[in-house]
Amino acid sequence: MTYPSLLNAGAAIAAPVKLRKKRSKRMQALFPYLLVAPAVLYLLMITLYPGVYAIYQSFFRVTFTAWRPVGFENYADLFNDREFWAALWNTFVIGSIALALQCTLALTLAFHAYRDPWIKGWRIVFLVPMLFMPSAVAFMFKLSFLDARVFSDILQTIGLIEGNLNITSSTWGSRALLIVADVWQWTPFLFIIFVAALQGQDEEVEEAARLDGASWLQIFWNVSLPMIRPVVVVALVLRGIDITTMFANVFIITKGGPGGATETISFFIYRLGFKTFNFGYASAASVIMLIITIIVAQLVVKRAFQSSRD
Amino acid sequence: MALATSTAKRSRGENLVLRYVILGAWALFCLAPVLWFLSIGFRPRTEIITPEPIYIPTFSLDAWHMIWEDWPMAKYLRNSVLAIFGSVVIDLVLGIPAAYSLARYRYKGRDDIGFYILSTRMMAPAIVAIPIFFLFRNLGLLDTIWALMLIYAAINLSIVTWIIRSYMIEIPKELEDAARTDGASDLRILWEIIIPAVLPGIITAAVIAMIFAINEFLFTLLIASTPDAYTLSVALANFTGGSDGLIYNAIALVAFLAFVPVFLVVVLIQKHLSRGLTMGAVKG
Repeated sequence: MTYPSLLNAGAAIAAPVKLRKKRSKRMQALFPYLLVAPAVLYLLMITLYPGVYAIYQSFFRVTFTAWRPVGFENYADLFNDREFWAALWNTFVIGSIALALQCTLALTLAFHAYRDPWIKGWRIVFLVPMLFMPSAVAFMFKLSFLDARVFSDILQTIGLIEGNLNITSSTWGSRALLIVADVWQWTPFLFIIFVAALQGQDEEVEEAARLDGASWLQIFWNVSLPMIRPVVVVALVLRGIDITTMFANVFIITKGGPGGATETISFFIYRLGFKTFNFGYASAASVIMLIITIIVAQLVVKRAFQSSRD
Repeated sequence: MALATSTAKRSRGENLVLRYVILGAWALFCLAPVLWFLSIGFRPRTEIITPEPIYIPTFSLDAWHMIWEDWPMAKYLRNSVLAIFGSVVIDLVLGIPAAYSLARYRYKGRDDIGFYILSTRMMAPAIVAIPIFFLFRNLGLLDTIWALMLIYAAINLSIVTWIIRSYMIEIPKELEDAARTDGASDLRILWEIIIPAVLPGIITAAVIAMIFAINEFLFTLLIASTPDAYTLSVALANFTGGSDGLIYNAIALVAFLAFVPVFLVVVLIQKHLSRGLTMGAVKG
């Protein structure tokens, strides 16, 4: 009686151990997925769900009381909508000019600063604009360029212009204002990254080029720049994405004017959705933006981040 | 040796005058608007919008009294702090395990999952704004800081995960193996070895997430419709007095109130900043 019960007790102990081992092996394979799953699920909630929702909604005319199916009508209207194409064009023009300026300025500044004994000081000073809230920067530019006319006044004082400057009445004046505000705030972003990359490169390569008699500009152009190229690409991709989503400056400074000359795609979607409450139409515009985003992400971003890795 | 470096530097042929002119000019361009805006925060309203700009104003604490007495500034601050702090906590709780998984394990689909997480950073807020608005409306979360917390966390999760991942990759494998032969479980290794080792990365990620959360404008504008959920970023646009127009001295003062803490923490993590801003792509 005691003997078998002892045996049974042994089996009872052995079984869970074996089971735990088996389970732990399966757990071992599942474990990394379990670690990453909560983050992925959370992100699906703000990307997949809204994506599907926007696609669905884009086939309806949405009012507060009812959804009426309209097939592809929203898309057809969108392709015939001059304001939509203008918004895409404005986003491209404002974004690419701002990005080109920022990149040139940041490279020039980084090149002159990265071996400077006071680099830490320069870095802190140059960082300042970036650390203000974008809405605060927008008000700062609105006040100094428009409401208080400081910029106009300075130009008059040094004798460049006569009379008051009327920036917001001209297409390019308004665009230039958005570009200057973006350059002012975000050139430091590229500067910080470029300086870190230049400081991280192998000094001996530069030294060797110098001993070969290359000038400082030649060294920068032919040696340093190619070495930090992957980093430059990543930085420009990140900055480029943020520029195309420019919203606060448009919302606060120009409101898209004059005559829609500064209406970016983000502002276009916002205006359609939340000012005219044309949700189905705005969703169709979102879906087209989503498609563009996915294409760009696959083509550009993936490559940029892969080349910068290791 | 010192002589050798100094001649080497000189023989580089770089014009030092040109260097300091360029750097000095940019420093002026950065700081002049900031100093002028600071002076706006400490002048009376009558000296802001004038026929001729006033560069040397009368000192005044009008704006300071106004934001606390006429506006629910304490509420704005509380909303900002709670929404941002909560979102960073969510990001760390979700992001640290995800980063560990991406950095330390080999499994099928890992790179695709990593890229998916990265790609959410590319999503323009305007694309998802309308569905997110309806989602929160249906959940009854419009105009609450809970909605802001959830959305800030979502915006920053990709950044947080990728920054921490880049730090975890660099930890020598031996450190873990030693603990594993001692019989420690994977979770315990993460908790007791990995997290302490990547603490600078975690702090960097938290600071960057904090900055982006403070800056967030579009979602906050859509979600918050009363001072119950206004954060500093959106509250700025509400310092208006009807026919008086925008109250710029209050706007300027609040802009600086938000700037100071951000500036201080960024100076503290300066060394890690470039790495954080590129989501780990640059080893600063």
